[in-house]
Parts: sequence; structure tokens; C-alpha cells
Amino acid sequence: MNVFNALIRAASESGEPAAQLPEYAPLLLVLPLAGFLFTAAIGRRLGKLAHLVPLGAIVATWGIAMSLAIPALLGDLGEYGASSELFTWIASGSLTFNMGIHVDALTGALLLVVTTVGALVHLYSVGYMSHDPGYWRFFAYLNLFMFSMLLLVLANNLLVVFAAWELVGLSSYLLIGFWYTKREPGLAAKKAFITNRVGDVGFALGLMGLVAVFGTLDISTILTGVAAGELTGTAATVIALLIFCGAVGKSAQFPLHVWLPDAMEGPTPVSALIHAATMVNAGVYLVARMSPLFAASHEAMLVVAAIGIFTAIFAASIAFTQTDIKRVLAFSTLSQLGYMFAALGVGAWVPAIFHLITHGFFKGLLFLGSGSVIHAVEGEQEMPKMGGLAKKIPITYATMLIGTVAIAGLPPLAGFWSKDEILGEAFKFGYAWVWLVGMVVAGATAFYMFRLMGLTFWGKSRVSESVHVHESPWTMTLPLILLAIPSIGIGVLLGFPFADGILVHGLEPIFHPANVLLGHEHEAWTLFGIDGLLMLASVTVASIGTVIGVRLFRSDNGERIRAITARFQPLYVGSKNRWFFDDLNDLIFVRLGTRLANAAWWFDRRVVDGAVNGVGTLTSTGGRGLRQIQTGRVQNYAFGIALGLAAMAVAYLVIGS
Amino acid sequence: MSGLTQFIGGLPILSMITLLPFAGALLIALLPSSRPSLIRVAALAVSFTTFVLSLLMLPGIREFSSEFAFSEQISWIPSFGITYHLGVDGLSGALVVLTTLLSWICILASFGPIQNRVKEYFISFLILETGMLGVFLSLDLFLFYIFWEIVLVPMYLIIGIWGGADRIYATIKFVLYTLVGSLLMLVAILATAFSHQAATGSWTGAFDLIALRGTITDPTLQALAFGAFALAFAIKVPMFPFHTWLPDAHVQAPTAGSVILAGVLLKLGGYGFLRFAIPLFPQAAQDFAPLIIALSVIAIIYGAIVAIVQTDLKKLIAYSSVSHMGFVTLGIFSFNQQGVDGAILQMLNHGLITSGLFLLVGIGYERTHDREIAKMGGWASRTPVYAALFGFFLFASVGLPGLSGFAGEFLVLLGAFLVNPMVAGAATLVMILAAVYLLWMYQRIFTGPLSPFLKGLGSHLTDVTPIEIATLAPLAAMIVAFGILPSLLTNAFAASVAQFLMYASGGLIQ
Repeated sequence: MNVFNALIRAASESGEPAAQLPEYAPLLLVLPLAGFLFTAAIGRRLGKLAHLVPLGAIVATWGIAMSLAIPALLGDLGEYGASSELFTWIASGSLTFNMGIHVDALTGALLLVVTTVGALVHLYSVGYMSHDPGYWRFFAYLNLFMFSMLLLVLANNLLVVFAAWELVGLSSYLLIGFWYTKREPGLAAKKAFITNRVGDVGFALGLMGLVAVFGTLDISTILTGVAAGELTGTAATVIALLIFCGAVGKSAQFPLHVWLPDAMEGPTPVSALIHAATMVNAGVYLVARMSPLFAASHEAMLVVAAIGIFTAIFAASIAFTQTDIKRVLAFSTLSQLGYMFAALGVGAWVPAIFHLITHGFFKGLLFLGSGSVIHAVEGEQEMPKMGGLAKKIPITYATMLIGTVAIAGLPPLAGFWSKDEILGEAFKFGYAWVWLVGMVVAGATAFYMFRLMGLTFWGKSRVSESVHVHESPWTMTLPLILLAIPSIGIGVLLGFPFADGILVHGLEPIFHPANVLLGHEHEAWTLFGIDGLLMLASVTVASIGTVIGVRLFRSDNGERIRAITARFQPLYVGSKNRWFFDDLNDLIFVRLGTRLANAAWWFDRRVVDGAVNGVGTLTSTGGRGLRQIQTGRVQNYAFGIALGLAAMAVAYLVIGS
Repeated sequence: MSGLTQFIGGLPILSMITLLPFAGALLIALLPSSRPSLIRVAALAVSFTTFVLSLLMLPGIREFSSEFAFSEQISWIPSFGITYHLGVDGLSGALVVLTTLLSWICILASFGPIQNRVKEYFISFLILETGMLGVFLSLDLFLFYIFWEIVLVPMYLIIGIWGGADRIYATIKFVLYTLVGSLLMLVAILATAFSHQAATGSWTGAFDLIALRGTITDPTLQALAFGAFALAFAIKVPMFPFHTWLPDAHVQAPTAGSVILAGVLLKLGGYGFLRFAIPLFPQAAQDFAPLIIALSVIAIIYGAIVAIVQTDLKKLIAYSSVSHMGFVTLGIFSFNQQGVDGAILQMLNHGLITSGLFLLVGIGYERTHDREIAKMGGWASRTPVYAALFGFFLFASVGLPGLSGFAGEFLVLLGAFLVNPMVAGAATLVMILAAVYLLWMYQRIFTGPLSPFLKGLGSHLTDVTPIEIATLAPLAAMIVAFGILPSLLTNAFAASVAQFLMYASGGLIQ
């Protein structure tokens, strides 16, 4: 710890970052921003070619991102990464908030997911959105999102992170509400933005607290200070939890999860990119980035773990009964994000980021796959109206099956590696309750995902006769295939050998200060010991979930499923209605809130303004004697001026003589 | 003609800026009423020239390290030591440019909507501009008071003649309310001058801000005079509970009246606190600070809550102004660098953003002759550019980082946090409320299926015209520029803030 601190302290005191980023690094931000501005300005006139510039910008961004992310993950940028300062954003006296970018292994992990999925979603959208009159607008918004998201992961100052945080919120708002002539997207967009703002209030206050303590929001200075014990006790807990509020909102954790399922009103590429693979990870990134801050407070860590694991099981329980294919995936996303927070909360930093990466790929794949399904059945999203699609859309089916096996946690696909590490470390760090609930969720995940596959692809077709089911064009299937590859292989690539893979090596220095605060030691992985047993257990529950899911939904089992749901009727109703949480929110915030606001308005008119008018009435009644000179309204004013001048005149006569 | 200093090219630049609109008003008075387009162009030319002149002044402000870069002082009523004393620093310079900018924008925005009594309208508007500029540039209390009152007359006429159906009630309320405050302020000005004369035995400097700062030691005078000044400024800001004239005035005012009201007139209050009330009476200001901070937080939250349920679009934005202006007083009375920097930024940004919103409401009203939110819906499908512009200004108002509103609000909250985290915690809730009232309004007006009312307007529901874009584009450009580089502004008024903080904290030690 001391060596590390000395190093990073020396770096920050000398004012020079450890290493400089190449000069082209800011292009990561400039290209998507330019693509946005260009398309927003003249995209409308480009018609069906409007995607060329935004797509080109993102492909180029992907290339640049890879050229930085791969060395960063391999440790070639230096253990603590490289930075470059750009300009001063906000300055107030000696307090300045600078715009600068920083790339280390953690940023690299995010860049890998964000730009890869981002580029593929752009390509996919060329096909998916081809008939939409807002084609150009869609690509403009997508580029705006990419700019904002990249700014979020690259910024080296928390205020810039916060700015990017709000900008991804804006892009999300614009894209959820993309089909603005319909009612629901507008409502969903508004709900997403406002719910996020609830969390952001905490985030903003947390930032103010950090400024009060450290006099800066420069991330490395803050982290160095926290690691050196400059922020402890209640202050650390309060600030960490305030910042965590932001993460709860953006990553849709309980109780701010309500916006994400509704966000599915947006076009499916948006659901894949923003609401599954990238933006919703921002909260996980934020907590990971500020890991020493959280590690400095045992209470804060406990809250993170508890919220995470509760969201994981809560959302999974809802995913069981949803019938809209995208909503199942949305609740699944909530649940998987919950996993990541549970991992962060127990101090399993690397597994959390590992799961962020694998989940980004396979959930992106599953969402794009669901879009391909919806495209095939001409806009239908209800799984009871699908079935038997496997043979008709084979590429979509095959790739989605890969995604399902990956998320179910079956070896050797990607999800197995990261999920297993989360569960294993939770157990080893002494959080048996997190491990236990996590195991249940693992089984549940496998079950509801195979339910989704069964209802969609297997059994007899329930698709309306009039619908001509067709496989999607290559622009849509190619991204599916390209995402299936990491869904299979990224786990073993980054996570093997166990506890000794690329990711562990890359991220270890970044999480070292937090691990020191927690007293966590790096341990070797043992096949014939606790690690092997834990792995066996997690594979077993995933397999059980898979077997039950496949057996129940392999063919048309309607009778039997109805019989089962009838036995658990109250649970079924609760799950189906999302445990009535939206209704509760509606009651408390919408109805009572509107009443309160109306009461305030009544108060304003009757009491505050009433007093004003009352004084006015009294004055005019009392001033009847003045009516002779106060004949009209303009004269009221003239009278005032006259009074003022008279006062002056009197003063002059008295004093000036 | 004694004591003239610091001219540009030998010309009294501050007087020129201040009096040019008045001269323009006189010129227009000579033009025939039968030539409305000539009058319009003349008014635009005069106000635009004033704008250019005010821009010429800016480099000078940055070059000078002393407090007032340019100043002009001429003896006026020597027996009382009253002088014609103008001066400009970073703070007033920024507000002067905001005023000259919004003035020509308002005049341009009035070309279409104002069709009767065109001549009188533009005369009123130009006199109003002179009044506002005079308030920002005066360094003599008596002169300041004169300009302060001059502002009232044309504003009264603009709302009372060219306003909506209920304009008489609104103007009476507006005028009487502001007059009550300013008469008390006049008494306080006189009391201050008398006490100065009593203490020094001379009238010299009895009305001069620079001479008076730091000399008023009598605690009773401080408290009473500050109370009177504060009431006048609180009404103008407006602070809770003196705000109820504002929604009425806004709803009844013609578009340009609303723009100038929100954009500049409300700033007179914040400026008054910064320039006069606090530097003159710092001890009393410190004593009153807890009360004013409490009222500010109430205004921020309460204004936003009441805005949520407004049914009239203009009223909604009026209440949002109450909420936004609460940040100004909260920041000022935090008495620290971040709070004051943020408060000034907030004044300027509110001037840009809310003016834009009122212009947009006016543009919509020109087509629909209605502002009832419930009648709207799906508007974006008919006029996408209008909807996009509205969305832009709306998100600026929400405080989206990258647009100018954010920096001011964040610095104010930070300043408040450093004084009292609980106060900042309460005020920060407005982040949610602002999103609620603005996005809910936007959703009801612009998204969803086209409402029957809007459908009924048929081809009258046109998109924005080039002139309308010309009124909005400068504002939008500045909102982006100061969103990315707010330090351009904070640097420009850094010296003013340093002076202010010195007088606010240690003004008595002299």
C-alpha cells in the first residue's frame, strides 16, 4: 500500500500524470460529437444515406478505442493508465473543474464494451430503422449517446463524469421517446429522466461533499486522499451513499428501477445499446471507479451489496411471468446489474467488471436478437403470439440460443466465468447470504431465459396467419453473429486461468487501494478446494434452472403451466404486476404529489396573493379621502412619484437652507 | 465637466450606451406614425447599435485591473453632493451586454406581434432600455434611484397598453408592488445621505456608492436601511413571498415584455443586492442572511412545486423564474466565492434561457392564440424545428450540463453546501422538480397524437420563420458557449466578486 501511495502521490504532487495519452485520444470524443452535429444539421437531407457519417464515425472510434483499450487491459499504458488534460471547464476562484481524459484498465474494459456494442448497434440500426421517417434523427441521437457515454468513462474529473451522466440521460430520453407521435414513448422517456434525477440529487450532493473535503473533484487526487485515510467514518459513509444514489438511478437498482422496463418503448437497438449493454453499466463503473471511497465505509459496502442482491432476486422474480419479450430482457438486465452491485458491495471488484463486460455482450446480443424476432413477426412483442420461430429465423434463433446459454451461466460460455467468480468471491469474503441469494438467482435466470426461448422459438407457431415471418437482412444478422463470438469466448479469454487471467492482472492495480482498505488479499484459485466446490455448485443450480425451463417450455405445455401458476396464484399475480411497485409510485408521487402541488398553488393564490390583494383593498378603502386626486389608475403611479418628489423637496427646504 | 475619466477614443462610452436608446426614442417620436416599418427598422437599428457599443466596452473591462474600468462623474446637484456618476466593472458589464442583447432581440421579436400604436410601443421600449442600462451603470444612489423608477413607467405602459385581457389588474399590482419597495428605498437612501452629512459635516459623497461603502457604522441605520433596500430588491427578484405580481405580469405582458421582464428586470434585484445593499450595509446583510437564505430555499422549492400544476404555459415559466431566481439570492447570501460566482452566472443564464422560453411561448401564441397546456398535444409532429428549439431551451432550463444553466446552479449549491449542507440538500431537490414541471409540460404539449385543437388550426400551425430563428439563435449560441466555457464569464467578473466579498465580509474595517 505504501509503495502504491507513494507512487500515486508523487505523481499527483508533481502535477504530472504518470503517462501521457497519445495526441489522437481526444478523437474518441470528437468523432461521435462531430457525427452528431453533422447529422443533426444536415442529416435530414441525406435520406437513406444519413447513416454513413455516424456509422463511419463510430467505426473509427471503435478502432481508436481498441488501440487504447487493449494496451490498457494488458498493462502496457502503465499500471495506473495515462491521461491528457484538455481545458478548464468551470472555474470559481481557486476552485477549478478541468476537462481531461484518463485511460486505464478499468476505462479499457468499458471502452471494449461501449464501442464494440456501439458500432454493431449502429450497423444493426441501418437495417432495423430503414423504414423509419426519423432515420437521420435516430443516428444523430445514437452518436450523441456515444459521445456522452465515452465522456463518462474517459473523464478524469467527477464533475465531468456528472455532466456526461446527465448527457447520457438526455440521449436516453431522446431515444426512448424517439417515436414521439405515440403517447407511451413520451411518458416512458419522461419517467426515465425524472427517476434518474432522483438519484442524481444524491450524486450531486455527494460531489459537493467531496469538494468540501478535498477541495477538488479530480478523481486521482480524491482516491489518493481516501486511500491515505483522509476521509473516514460517517463522512465517508454519507458521501459514498450519496454517490451511490446516482448509481442506483442510472443502473436502475431498487427502488429506482421502475424506469428501465418502461424504457423498452424505445426502438430495440436503443434497448440493446443503452438500456442493456452500456449506459446502465455507468453506475457499476462509478462505484468501481470510486472503489476506495466505498471501501472506506463498511456500512456503504453493505448497502451496495444489499441493494444489489435484492434487485437481483426481485427483478428475476418479475421476469418469470412477463410476456413481452423485451420486458423479460429488461428485468433480466436489472437482475444482472444487481449481481454486479452485489459483487462490488462484497469487494469482488474484478468479477463485477468482468460480469459487466460479458453481460454487455450477451445482453446486447439478446436484445438485438429480440429486435430481429420482433422484426420477423412484424412488430409483435408478446411471446404468447409467437412460438415455433426456430426454423423460420434460424440465424436469430442460433445466436439467441448462444446468448441464453451464456446468461444462464453454463460453461464454457461467457456468463459462466463472470457469474461464477462473483458467487465464489462473495462466499469466500464471508457474505454467505449474498452467495445464497445469488445462487437462487442463477437458477432462476436460467429458468426464465429458457422460458423466453421456449415461448418464442419452440413448440407450435401462434403467430397470426397474416404475418409473413422472415429472417432479417444481413445488416441485422451480422451484428448478431459478431456479438455471439464474444458471448462464447470473452469469458475464457479474459478470465482464464481462474484468478490469474488478463482482466485480473489489468485491474488489480486499480483496485489495490480498495482491497488494502478492506484487507482483501489476492489468493490463488484451487480446483480441488473451496473454489472447485463453489464452481460445481453454481454450475449445478444453472443446470437445474436450465433443465426445468427446457422441460416446461420445450413444447406446448400450456395446461401444465396453467396448473402450476394456479397453485401459486398470489405469487403469480404479484410477479406479473411487478409487485405493484409502479402502482405504489403512482399513488405516492404522481397522485399525492399532484395534490400537494395543487395545495401549494391554492396557498399561493389564496394566502400569499390573497394577503397582497387584501392589503390593496384595505389601502383603497382606507384611502377614500384621496379619491379626489386618485381618479384613475395611472394616477396611482403619479401619486407615488409626487410623494417621492415632495419628500425630496421637504428635505431640501429643511436641510439645504 | 469635472472628473471625466477613462473614455474610449475620447468619447464618454457609458453615457453613450445609456443614452443612445433614449435619443433613439426621441428620433422615433419625430417619425410619422403612418410609417410603422420605418419605425421598426429605426428602433432595431438604434438598439443594435447600442448592443455593438456595449460590446466595444468589453475588452476594456478585461484589461483594467481596478474595480471600475470606465467611469464618468459630473457634478449634478452640488448642494447635496449628488453627481452623475456612471461606472462599469465585470459584473455590470455583463448585465449591460445582456440588456442590450435582449433589447434588440425583443424589438425584432415585436415586429410581427405589435401592430397597433407601433410608434408609442418602440418609444416605450427604448426608454425602458435606457432606464435598465442606467440602473446597471449608476454609482450614485440618487441617480440609481431615478433610473430605477424610470424603468417602471415604460414597463407599465407596455403591459398596460399592449398586454392581454386582464392587463389592468396586472399592471396596477406590478406598479404598486414595486413602488412600495422603491419608496422605502428612497427613504433609506435619504437617511444614509443625512447620516453621512451628519458624520462628516459635508454633503460631498453623501450619495456616492464608492464614498459610502464601508463608512456606515450605525447598526440601527444599517438594519433599517438594509431592510428597506432589501425589500425593494426582494420584490424585484422576486423573492418569496413577494412574488405574486410576477405570474400576473408575465401572463398579461406581450411577448417582448415578458422577455425583458424575466431577462433583465428581475436581475435589477439581484444586482441591487450585489452592488448596493450588501456593500453599503454588510453587517445588517450578515444578520439578515439566514432569513434570506431560508426564503431563497423556499422560493426554489415552492416555485418549482407550484409550476408543476400550472395550466397556462406562461404562468408555468413565470413560477419557474421564481424558482430559478431563488438560486441568485441563495448564492449571494452564501457570501463565498462559489455562491456569488454562481449567483451572477445564474442571473446571466436565466436571462438567456428564460428569455428564450418566453420568446418560444410567444411564437407559439402567434399561431394558436392560446397558452392552455391542456389544449395542446403532439405539436412536434407539425412543427419539428419549433419543437426542437423548445426542447433545447427547456433542457437548458432543466440545468443540463454542457448548456449554460448548469454551472451557475451547481456553484450556487456548492456555495450553499459550504455554508450549510442541509440548505444545499433541500435546494438540490429542485433538480427533480425542474425535470418534473418542464418535461411534463413538454410531453403534454409536443408529444403524443395531435390534439383536436391543434388539428383544427390546420395550416395556421406553421414552423418558425427566419426572423424568429434570428431572435433565438444568438441566445442558443451563447447558451452553448457559456455551457462549455463558463470560465469566460467567471473570469470577466472575478474582480467584481473579489471586491464584493471584501465589502461583504470586512466592509466595516476601514
